[in-house]
Amino acid sequence: MITDRSARTAGLLTVILLAGAVLTADALESVNLKLGRVTGPGWSVDELESRLVWRDAQRAALLLTATRARLPEPFGSIAGLQLDCPDALIAADEVACSRARLVFSSDRIGPQQVRTGFSYRFSDRRLQLDLANIRLDGGRLSVHATQAAHGWDLTLQADGLQLDAVAARLAAAGILPVRIDGTGTLSITAELQGKAARPETGRLSARLESSAFSDAEGRLAGENLELQLDADVAAAGTRWRVSGELSAQQGQLYIDPVFVDMAKTPVHATTRFDWHPDQRRISLHAFDYDQPGTVSLHADGRLDIDASSMIETLSVDVREGVFPGLYDTYFQPWLINTVLADLDTEGKLSAQLYWQDRGLASVRLRPEGLTIHDREARFGFGGLEAQIDWAAQGPLRESQLAWEQGHVYRVPLGPSQLQVESAGSSVRLREPARIAVLDGELQVDEFELEYAPGTASRWHVDGLLTPVSMSDLTRALGWPEFGGRLSGMIPDVNYRDGDLSVGGMLLVRVFDGDITLSKLRLAQPLSVVPRLWVDARATNIDLETLTRTFSFGRIEGRLDGRVDELYMESWRPVSFDAAFATPPDDKSRHRISQKAVDNISSIGGGGLSGALSRSFMRFFKDFPYDRLGLSCRLENGTCEMGGVAPAANGYYIVKSRLLPPRLDVIGYADRVDWDSLVSQLVAVTRRQGAVVK
Amino acid sequence: MKTLRIPMAMLLMLFAAACVTINVYFPAEAAEKAADRIIKDVYGEQPAAPREPAAEPQSRFQPQVLPARYRYGLLDWLVSPAHAEADLSVNTPAISQLKADMEQRHRQLAPHYTSGAVGMTHDGEIAIRDQTLLALKDRNTVKTLVAKENRDRGALYAEIARANGHPEWEGEIRQTFARRWVDNAPGGWWYSSASGSWKQK
Repeated sequence: MITDRSARTAGLLTVILLAGAVLTADALESVNLKLGRVTGPGWSVDELESRLVWRDAQRAALLLTATRARLPEPFGSIAGLQLDCPDALIAADEVACSRARLVFSSDRIGPQQVRTGFSYRFSDRRLQLDLANIRLDGGRLSVHATQAAHGWDLTLQADGLQLDAVAARLAAAGILPVRIDGTGTLSITAELQGKAARPETGRLSARLESSAFSDAEGRLAGENLELQLDADVAAAGTRWRVSGELSAQQGQLYIDPVFVDMAKTPVHATTRFDWHPDQRRISLHAFDYDQPGTVSLHADGRLDIDASSMIETLSVDVREGVFPGLYDTYFQPWLINTVLADLDTEGKLSAQLYWQDRGLASVRLRPEGLTIHDREARFGFGGLEAQIDWAAQGPLRESQLAWEQGHVYRVPLGPSQLQVESAGSSVRLREPARIAVLDGELQVDEFELEYAPGTASRWHVDGLLTPVSMSDLTRALGWPEFGGRLSGMIPDVNYRDGDLSVGGMLLVRVFDGDITLSKLRLAQPLSVVPRLWVDARATNIDLETLTRTFSFGRIEGRLDGRVDELYMESWRPVSFDAAFATPPDDKSRHRISQKAVDNISSIGGGGLSGALSRSFMRFFKDFPYDRLGLSCRLENGTCEMGGVAPAANGYYIVKSRLLPPRLDVIGYADRVDWDSLVSQLVAVTRRQGAVVK
Repeated sequence: MKTLRIPMAMLLMLFAAACVTINVYFPAEAAEKAADRIIKDVYGEQPAAPREPAAEPQSRFQPQVLPARYRYGLLDWLVSPAHAEADLSVNTPAISQLKADMEQRHRQLAPHYTSGAVGMTHDGEIAIRDQTLLALKDRNTVKTLVAKENRDRGALYAEIARANGHPEWEGEIRQTFARRWVDNAPGGWWYSSASGSWKQK
């Protein structure tokens, strides 16, 4: 378009000036020429008139006017055109005007008074044109163009263009997809060289400085931004070779949903690509993106501009990703609705991703010394090292994953290593894994994960938990510390739709007895409301150890019990049906201390402790008993209480022997608020903590 | 005699049938009250009811205090006999936990409700209304808050429905809350209609 224009401008000028030159021969002092309407392809000039006043043999004043001119897009139409050249050189081999004034009013860029100069040499047909001081979008534009036999070149220099005006212009032209408002200035230098109608090389240098800008929805916004863009373009056959460089040292940029703070981590990007206008495709030879301390990557591939999924092939090599910058800037915004939405991260990552046939084909991830920690404290891993290989198709890929330490909720995990293999949408454990849990080990013999886009992922585990010391576990969970060991066969762990069910049985050897956990089921363990169902059986618990551990007051004897259908939400019990009592055939020594009696009655709704302390019974340190026990059916926050046997208006919590000293503890409250019950229990064990040993 | 008994029996059957029908209806009033209790706590307009202090030993002699739902149940019964059995329990551990998290998060969200950056949606959630009102660096923080709040609100509605033995009420509970979040909000906050257009309260 520009070549057309310059060529035709040259042509028009030539005609007019030649006419002048011819008329000079007749020694006329001045010439007025009315050309009327002049048209060409895509342009027209109305009422074109020229006036030439000769000063000497070679010099004349030239005035050219036209009422209207219609120019090819994007130049629109202009009115009141007036070219005033007071001192034009009109010689046999050259026509020139070094100081001319061009006045016109454009429907695109408003009224203009432009300093201009031009020259044309007949011998080599060299045309030169300068336009300066064009007011454009709050700034100034100057144009320098030359055309000669070997080709033409065009230089545009624009300074102080106002960002919002330029953006509005680009949006109106359909170049910018959104309208942008804000304050900022843009400076552009563009050079273009070509031959005839064909540009061959170009160079663009643009600098944007903006204190603030944003589109209407705030999806694209910047503050205190300083961007520098340099690009070179060269034609090669049917394609365009482009190389460019972008750097931003200052300010913040938000491209929904990614926020980049360039004041903290400057951005530098370079690219080389070929643009094939006939195929509407880009061959990306290199795209290098560097943000020190955050990410450094290289990409190449082939893009189809018009396709819905632009990527034909693309390979991205993340040479170095540095946390937390990589997560905070580039990962977190995409993970807002997942369990990974709020992490503290540290460490490094390298990765290779490859897209083929418009889909992700393979991924290799190499985290190094990576630490992730959920800010809601649900999980965390430290010293993560992995070699993760995945491919959508083809043979099995092997991956390794190891961590030095981790935790799930408050249960710490020790150093562990997993070897897995994957194919398409399934992952399988290659060899049994050992995950250190406190001082024990979770041995996972089998693990299979199936997932597919759009369907629920599910996995299956066969494993074994080697004994874990209860004192470590209870300490980790912040419970009163007690000895014993937890172990279990967990042959059939299934996960589906976020629900985890555990077949088999977990065994807790504790207080010289056994507690078995069965029918364990976990729903959405990492969600807002984790739910847990489990049945528990306790056999042959030694009460002396138990009461010593919980500082409850000494009780001797054994205890059996059951907790059926325990249901917990957010790790707090909602309902269960529990009963604990002295086993019917228990032959052990049955003694209960005065302190224990006091405590039982204080929590069980009994009515004896006060009486006990005041009566002669206080002379006894402990009492023999026949049976003791308590049951609670929890529902709707209320515990329906029971004991070992019914009593008048209540139930026996402790039932005496026939021989004195006889002592019965009778509970009268049949409905107890669960929260109060728990806080009473906690208060009792805390209060007694220092006393009882 | 016989002619008299048959209508009587029919009347009784009708009455029984009517009773059954009443229980199926969603307890709209009770739901509003339950929603208001939670919302006022979250908004912090009135301090949360103090937790029952750890019971002193002598409290064992007092008649056992029934949990709150029975007391409210009684009130509801007086007000609206038809809904006597349909009071909504909101005293499960999960609901308490959700409410506590939302109360805490509300302190971070409140300035954004006031500025108009965040508004209440017609389906009982919240949304970024105008992110140009947020500083660039805060946008993803606020988006994360909004996502977490919506996650908790969704869980809360489901939890209330589930805790009351009617998981199918979730949609109606959500609708009730949607209205009450707006009604209890101070003037100046923004809310959206079903068509998605924003209005300022």
